[in-house]
Amino acid sequence: MTIEVRFFAAFRDLFGGRSRDLAVGEGATVGDALAVLCDTAARRRELFAGAGLRAHVVVMLNGAPVGALRGLATPLAPGDTLAVFPLLGGG
Amino acid sequence: MPDFPIPGYHGRVLVADLSLGEIRPVPLDPGTALSYLGGRGLATRLLCDTIDPACEPLGPDNAFVIASSPLVGSTAPTAGRGHMVFKSPLTGVIGTSNSGGTWGAAFKSAGYDALIVKGAAAEPVMIDLAPGRAEILPAGHVWGKTTHETNDVLAADAGPGRPARILCIGPAGENLVRFAAVANDRNRVYGRCGPGAVWGSKRLKAIRVRGREKIAAADPEKYKSGQEQAIYLLKQAPVTKRLMRDLGTAGLVELINLIAMLPHKNFQDCLHRDEDVDRVSGETLAKTLLEKAGSCYLCPIGCQRHTRVAGRDGGEERGEGPEYETVVLTGPLCGIYDLAAITRANYRANELGLDTMSYGGTLACAMELAERGLIGPEETNGIDLAFGSAEALETLVGLTARREGLGAALAEGAHRLAAGRGRPELAMTVKKLEIPAYDPRASFTQALGYMTSPTGACHLRGGYAVSLAFFGGAKEIPRFSLLQAPIAIRNMQNMGILQDSLGICRFTGYAFSADPWARMASGVTGRDLSVAKLEEIENRVATLERCFNLGAGATAEDDALPDRFADVPILVEGRERRVTREDQERMKRDYYAVRGWDAAGRPTPGLLRALRIEEARR
Repeated sequence: MTIEVRFFAAFRDLFGGRSRDLAVGEGATVGDALAVLCDTAARRRELFAGAGLRAHVVVMLNGAPVGALRGLATPLAPGDTLAVFPLLGGG
Repeated sequence: MPDFPIPGYHGRVLVADLSLGEIRPVPLDPGTALSYLGGRGLATRLLCDTIDPACEPLGPDNAFVIASSPLVGSTAPTAGRGHMVFKSPLTGVIGTSNSGGTWGAAFKSAGYDALIVKGAAAEPVMIDLAPGRAEILPAGHVWGKTTHETNDVLAADAGPGRPARILCIGPAGENLVRFAAVANDRNRVYGRCGPGAVWGSKRLKAIRVRGREKIAAADPEKYKSGQEQAIYLLKQAPVTKRLMRDLGTAGLVELINLIAMLPHKNFQDCLHRDEDVDRVSGETLAKTLLEKAGSCYLCPIGCQRHTRVAGRDGGEERGEGPEYETVVLTGPLCGIYDLAAITRANYRANELGLDTMSYGGTLACAMELAERGLIGPEETNGIDLAFGSAEALETLVGLTARREGLGAALAEGAHRLAAGRGRPELAMTVKKLEIPAYDPRASFTQALGYMTSPTGACHLRGGYAVSLAFFGGAKEIPRFSLLQAPIAIRNMQNMGILQDSLGICRFTGYAFSADPWARMASGVTGRDLSVAKLEEIENRVATLERCFNLGAGATAEDDALPDRFADVPILVEGRERRVTREDQERMKRDYYAVRGWDAAGRPTPGLLRALRIEEARR
């Protein structure tokens, strides 16, 4: 199946674009998709600390933070949109 | 340090009565200092001791208080903020606002913990402060000048020695625009709740400070352990280490749009085209307008945006901003996606001394009134007032500051503008304060924050729920949890009270919580200011602010969102979301209980005793 991944802020430079379509296997999870994306040591280092996401990395599935779903184990469906961005502040 | 028993404080409060033309120091009560800490806490206590909360905000009976803290002016990171408290002419309840830059630290080094200004002068005046010297001087020569002109004239007039720091109003404050700001260091702004109008009503143009009095810690080792921990963590956390410097606060624009929270057309919906949002994003700002990042006093974060933009009539302009709130409230909220126009209007607002947030909220309200035929072409003098009109944004900022034409109506703020046309429900305000750039229908937590903020709809006093709901990492809470919102928002509000009372920056909260501050505060004062002790102070300040508001005539009915947020849903994650009146009532009831207030939102006598609060003077 294919999902769309959108990148924000510094992750656009890291992943070389604003968005891309990603092919993942049936039954794939958010963690699986991110593992496919992180195909270099630098990319993996920026997103992951061990098996989990780094503290400043926020991942949303169709607008919902995956932390409020099932985290990296959240299953994907065809046409899903995954957004990857660094923690940001403002006000 | 002089003969004050608590290190970190000078033990002196200045009291200026502009009606009498007198200014004199009085001792700071040590018990008051330790019970209210400084900044927002101490200033609120001193204001309650000085004025009747029922007073006329633009009359001589109102006062404002600026307070420092034991950390301000020390080597603690970001500890240079000044804090001002007053009765707001926009909202009629407590007004509280703060600003970065260097003025706050300079005020502390002039040898004072706080300044109370009451009464009103017959002619324009300024206050001039230095160690051992406090004077009220004529200021007719700068009356009518912009904040930048005033800053430059008064700094140059100060003569040789340490640089003088200037806090002043612009024409908007002089003209009693209800959301007029007070500015220091040219572009750092005490924005919200209309402090500039309070100054204008007193005919006070500026406060000039300079000094060299240093802070000595009672327990240098303890202080240093907290200070070094804080600096280490600020340099480790990605947001404070790099991201804020790269993108500034406007880096949030795209993300807030992504989570369906970016308001549009006076909060009619949250629907934007991605390509429009791109035009006003932090990334676009960084690529097209940013010259360099800058910092406030001892700040390693560096979120300031020093920018340049093409002038409206040719040439190039330089200035600071825009920040996230300004971008969204004077941009997409008004249907405008022209970053150059937003930036130029921001420059003008800083020079004229206007709060960009309330200006954006009021302009959006005016645009909706025009859309509904409630402001006719005969009032706009040829200005296109349709949503999306950058011409209106850039033209009306000056007219509002000068109260000319339609600007006279805008100068009253969104609530009075809409109520004057018989449609108060079209003002997107809580307690008459224009709502910040996060749609409350997209987060119950943020909704409750706006409802219960002591100053009206404010993300900084009410609780910045966005960071909790989406960016909090381990602290993450679901954004639609009625159950968790009251405690989460109480905790966020309390952290804000601590930060405001210590004179430090909100953004340190992205790196660490209260512990390093407790060490630093305990180390400076040599007193027990543990995290638990600080929490007691936070609760005391929150309840004292509530007492002030009740004394000013506010009731539980004022802790509510405009009808639109209960009646008109927006689409979030594929579901229609609104904050029903029942949901609002439930969250409010639980919040009051968490605070120890009764069902009508009144602090109980037992709580007042436990917190050792003397009620705000009636």
